[in-house]
Amino acid sequence: MTRLLVADDSETVLLMLQRRLEMEGYEVVTAKDGFEALERLEEAGSDEPDLILLDAMMPNKSGTEVLEELRDSGSTIPVLMISAHLDAQAPDRMLSLGATDCMPKPFEWDELIGKIEKLAG
Amino acid sequence: MRVNPSLTSRLRIAFVVLLLLLGAVSFLGVGRLFQIRVNYEDDLTRYFQVEVQSERLRSAFILEQAAARPATPHQKPNPAALNQAAKSFSDGVARAQDLIGDNADLTNRLNRLVASETGWRTSVGAPLVRGEVPGPGVERRLTAAVTASAESLATGARDSQDDARSKARRDTRNTMYLVIVGLLGAVVAVMILFFGLINSMRAPLERLVQGARRLAGGNLKTRVEVGGPVEIAALGTAFNDMADSLERDARERDRVEQMKDDFVLTVSHELRTPVTVVKGFAEMLTEQRRSLNARQYEAAEVIAESAGQLQKMINDLLDLARSDAGKLRIESRPTSVRSLAQRIGRQMRPHFEEREQRLTVSVEKNLPEVEADPDRIGQVLANLLTNANKYSPEGASVRLAASRVGDEIEFAVTDDGPGLGADELDHVFERFWRAESGETQSVGGTGLGLAIAKSLVELHGGAISANSTPGEGATFRFVLPIAKDGRRAPQRTARRTKKAGVAR
Repeated sequence: MTRLLVADDSETVLLMLQRRLEMEGYEVVTAKDGFEALERLEEAGSDEPDLILLDAMMPNKSGTEVLEELRDSGSTIPVLMISAHLDAQAPDRMLSLGATDCMPKPFEWDELIGKIEKLAG
Repeated sequence: MRVNPSLTSRLRIAFVVLLLLLGAVSFLGVGRLFQIRVNYEDDLTRYFQVEVQSERLRSAFILEQAAARPATPHQKPNPAALNQAAKSFSDGVARAQDLIGDNADLTNRLNRLVASETGWRTSVGAPLVRGEVPGPGVERRLTAAVTASAESLATGARDSQDDARSKARRDTRNTMYLVIVGLLGAVVAVMILFFGLINSMRAPLERLVQGARRLAGGNLKTRVEVGGPVEIAALGTAFNDMADSLERDARERDRVEQMKDDFVLTVSHELRTPVTVVKGFAEMLTEQRRSLNARQYEAAEVIAESAGQLQKMINDLLDLARSDAGKLRIESRPTSVRSLAQRIGRQMRPHFEEREQRLTVSVEKNLPEVEADPDRIGQVLANLLTNANKYSPEGASVRLAASRVGDEIEFAVTDDGPGLGADELDHVFERFWRAESGETQSVGGTGLGLAIAKSLVELHGGAISANSTPGEGATFRFVLPIAKDGRRAPQRTARRTKKAGVAR
C-alpha cells in the first residue's frame, strides 16, 4: 500500500486530509509540525514513506526547513510542497530547494490527487 | 532680543520718515530763501540811505564852506551858520554810522570823511571865521580831500549795494543746491528703507512658495524656515501648522487604511483553514453516496457547494486586500497569447457545457508575446468568462478574442447576455456590485470577479473597459503591453481560430 507522510499545523486540515486520502486508498501518517515530521521519518527508518506532503508554513519547524534538512541528508523521497496561493515566487523557490513538486493553497481535491498519484504512483 | 517690526509699522515708518524729511527740507529751504530776500532788501535800503547820507554830508560841508567864506566879498563869515552846518554834518555822520553798522569798508570811508572835514574845519573854517587867511594851497587841498571822501563814501555805498545783490544771488543759488541735495537724501533714505523691507520679505516669501509647491507635490514632511516681518513670519508659522495637520491626517489615514487592510488579510486568512476543512469533509461525504440517504446526500452537496463559494469569495477578498495593500505581486514575463487563451478556454469549457453555451476562442495570427503574469491574466480571463457564462442565457454564444492594437494586445470577451445600461456600466467594476436585471437575479458569484480583473489588469499597466447595448450583450476589453524581448508566435501553430465547448 502506498504510504504518505502528511504535515500540516492545522489539526482539522490534517484530519480532513488523512480521512480523504485514506478513502482514496492511501496509508497516511500525520505530523503537526516539522519536528514531528522528522520524528516520524526517523521512526519509519528504512521503511520510509513513498511521498511526503509538507505545508511550507508551520510553527517550530517549517516545511521549507524540513525539506532542506532532508535534501542535505541525501534523502531522495519525493516531496510535494504546499504553499500559500498568493506567494508568486514560492514554487520556484521550493523547486530550487529540492521539492519534487508544488501545490498552491487552497487547492482543488482532484488536482491534489492527480499530483499525488503521479509522484507516489 | 532682535527687534522685528511688523510689515505695516515698517511701511508707516518709511512713510513718516519720507514726510518728515521732505517737510524739513522744504521748510528750511523756504525759510532760508525768505531770510536771504529780507536781508537783501534791508542791505539795499541801508546802503541806499548811506548814499543819500553822503549827499547830505556833502551839502552840509557846502553850507560850512558858504558860512566860512561868503559868496560876496562884502559879507562877513557867519560863525553861527558855520556851527549849524557843522552840527548838521555831525548829525549826518551819526546817522550814517547807524546805517553802516559793521561794514568795515564804509566805516573806513566815513572815518576818512570825518577826519578830512575835521581837518578842514580846524585848518580852514576856524581861521576864516577868526578873520585869518589860511595858506592858499591848504584850503584847496583840504576842500578837495573832503569832497573826495564824500564821493568815496557814495561810491562805497553803491558798491555795497552791488555786493549785497550778488551775495543774495549766491546765497539763493547755494540754498537751492542744498534743497535739492536734501530732497535727494530723503529719497535715498526712503529707498533704503523700502529695499530693506522688500529684501526682508523676499527670502521668506520665496521659501513659502517653494514649500507650498513641495507640499502640493505630495511631500508632507515639508516645513519652511520662519522669518521676515511679523506678518510673513506668521504666514510661515501658519504654513507649518497646516503641514503638521496634513501630515497628521495622512498618517492617521494611512494607519486606518493599514488596519483595514491587515484586518481583511487576517480575517480572510483565518477563514480559509476552516472553510478548507468544511469543504474537504463535505466533498468526502458526497463521495460516500451509498452510505447516505437522499436528504443527507443533498445536505452534503449543498455544504460542499457553499463552502466552495465561500472559499472562492475568501480568495477574491484576499486578492483585493493584497492588491490594496500593495502586497499583490505579479511576475510579468513574455507570455504567448495563444497558449494562454487556449488554456483558459479549456479550463472554462465545462462551465459552458453545463449551460449548453458555445465558447469561441479566436486569436489573431502572428501575435507577438504579451508582457504578463500568465497566472494572473489567466485569472482575469477566467473571471471575465465566468461573468459571460453566468449572465448569458442557456444556448448562447460567448467569444474570447485577442488581437493587436498598436503596441498593445487587446483581449475581448463578448457575451450574449441582456447587456448593461450606461448607468450600470459606470459601476460594473465596483466591488460587490451586481447587475439587477430580472433574469440575472439568480446569478451566483462573489461580485468581486470584475473588480479583481480591473485591479490585476491595472497592476500590469493595462486598462480595462466595458461596452454594451442593452439587449445585445456586453463586451469586456482589456489591453496589455507587448513584451519587449518576446518572440512572435510561431507560424505553424498559428491557426485562425480554435473552437471549444458545445456538447449537447
